[in-house]
Formats: sequence, C-alpha cells, structure tokens
Amino acid sequence: MLRSLPVLRQIAQRTISTASRRHFENKVPEKQKLFQEDNGIPVHLKGGVGDALLYRATMILTVGGTAYAIYQLAMASFPKKQA
Amino acid sequence: MTHQTHAYHMVNPSPWPLTGALSALLMTSGLTMWFHFNSSTLLILGLLTNSLTMYQWWRDVVRESTFQGHHTAVVQTGLRYGMILFILSEVLFFAGFFWAFYHSSLAPTPNLGGYWPPAGINPLNPMEVPLLNTLVLLASGVSITWAHHSLMEGNRKHSLQALLITISLGIYFTLLQTSEYLEAPFTISDGIYGSTFFVATGFHGLHVMIGSTFLTICLLRQLKFHFTSKHHFGFEAAAWYWHFVDVVWLFLYISIYWWGS
Repeated sequence: MLRSLPVLRQIAQRTISTASRRHFENKVPEKQKLFQEDNGIPVHLKGGVGDALLYRATMILTVGGTAYAIYQLAMASFPKKQA
Repeated sequence: MTHQTHAYHMVNPSPWPLTGALSALLMTSGLTMWFHFNSSTLLILGLLTNSLTMYQWWRDVVRESTFQGHHTAVVQTGLRYGMILFILSEVLFFAGFFWAFYHSSLAPTPNLGGYWPPAGINPLNPMEVPLLNTLVLLASGVSITWAHHSLMEGNRKHSLQALLITISLGIYFTLLQTSEYLEAPFTISDGIYGSTFFVATGFHGLHVMIGSTFLTICLLRQLKFHFTSKHHFGFEAAAWYWHFVDVVWLFLYISIYWWGS
C-alpha cells in the first residue's frame, strides 16, 4: 500500500478529506424521496413523528399561553381593594 | 393526483402564521406583565413559542425548496423581491433613529449646554474599540464575498471556511460591543445622548446577532449539501442582510461615534 510517493506526501500533509471521514454525507436525495412521497401529509408533519410532537407542543403552549394572557388581563383589569 | 400547470408555489395549509401571531401577543403582554407586575412567565412563554414558530416555519421552507423542489425561477424572483423589500423596511426603521440623533445633536438645547456631546458626557474614543469594530465588520464583508464566490465555484471547503470566518467576526464584534457597553462611562438614562446612543447601537447589535444566526443556519445547510453552485438563495439573502448590517454600522460610526464626539 505504501508503494507510491504521492500517497506518503498526502498523508504527511494531511490533505485527505472525504465526506464520510468528516461524518457529512449527502443525505439530500433521501430527504427528497421522503418529502416527495405522495401521501397527502402536509409539509409541516411530513418529516415523521417528531414533527407531530413538536407541532402539538407549540400549539399547546401558544393556545394555553393565550388563555393565560387573557386571564392575567382580567385580573389586572379589576384590582383588588386593600382591606 | 392533480398537477398544477403553472410554476408558482401553492403552499400546504400551515399552522405557523397562527402560532406566530399568538406568540407576538404573548411577547407583548409578557413585556407588560414584566414591566408592571414583575412576572416573567408570559414573556418567557412568548419568546419560547416565537422561537418554536420560527424554527418550524423556516424548516418547512427548506423542505419545500431543497427537498420538494418548489422554488422555481419565478418563485425565487418573488423571494428576492421579498428580501429586498424587507431590508428596505429595516433601512427605514434605522432612519428613524438616525433622525432622532440628528434632531437632537444638530441643535443642542440650552439644558445640554448648547453643544454636543452634551455637558457631562464623555463619549467613547472613536479611534479605539469602535474603529476595531469597523474593521471587523468590513473584514466580514470581504469574507462573506469570498464564501459566495467559493459557493458559486463549487469549492466546498473554502465556502465553509469563509462562512465560518464571517460568523466568527460577527461574534467577535458582538463580544467587543458587549464589553464597550459594560465599560461605557454613560448609560441609556444619561439624557438624550444616552438614549440615542444605546437605542441606535443597541438595535444594530441585535441585527448583528440575527445576521450571525442566519449565517450559522447557512453554514449548517452548506454542511448538509443543501446549496448548489447555481441555486443558493438562502445564502444570498443572508449575505444581503449581512452587508446591510455592515452599512448601518458605518453610518453609526461616522454619525454617532465620530461626528458625535
């Protein structure tokens, strides 16, 4: 394996770089297949279960938060008189 | 399955405009609760839901473009117009704060001493850290241009390096400016000088942070092979925004730091 000088030089200069060595492989084609599947799922849920969980969490926090905001508004609108 | 006979993008129904609007309500009412009733629950909830909305909305745009191919030439043209108009609106936003600065500094009132900087104010030396900040941002403008050219030439390693340099310079600026804020001999409550200085530079700093975040997203997307040498509008939008942030700083430096001292 160490029969050619260029290889030695490459190792010495550390210019080896392949996508797999740096853990970055091109996964775009897989994603394209997943998101182009004709299953009628809207894009914000099409990635899988994680999408649905994140969506639900966001909805619960925003709608719940809105209810809380309105409650705080109601409380602030009728100040308690000091005894 | 029906197919469209036009090149435009008809998006799937999305919940993010609603959650975004509600998060804006939570942020504003949260600010009120924080200012007047010393409670930060609503504000934190607002910031959290705002972040969740932004993450998911823009994640979906990446899916629609890179993974589903909906960003045809005409769609991209629309996005270009959109980004340009958004940046224009930001220019006008900053114009207001520059107006305020010049209104007060061109005709200083008697209670300021009739001169600018006002009595009692020791302005920062424009030849010290502010000059360094100027060079940092100018250099970042060069590095982002290098990144763009590398991207267009298909040089993956260089585009990643140059993007990383640009982001690092942005973070360096933010750190330097934070240190300046902590060390400054005047505060935001030091009359009209303090107000104009900190509101104008403060909003600029916020935009540097937003720009740096946008660039970081571009770095992550470039690492994941999302961009091609011909189609990388997300990167171009980030670059336009970054140049805008740089230009605003140049105006701030000349007007407030230099002329205003």
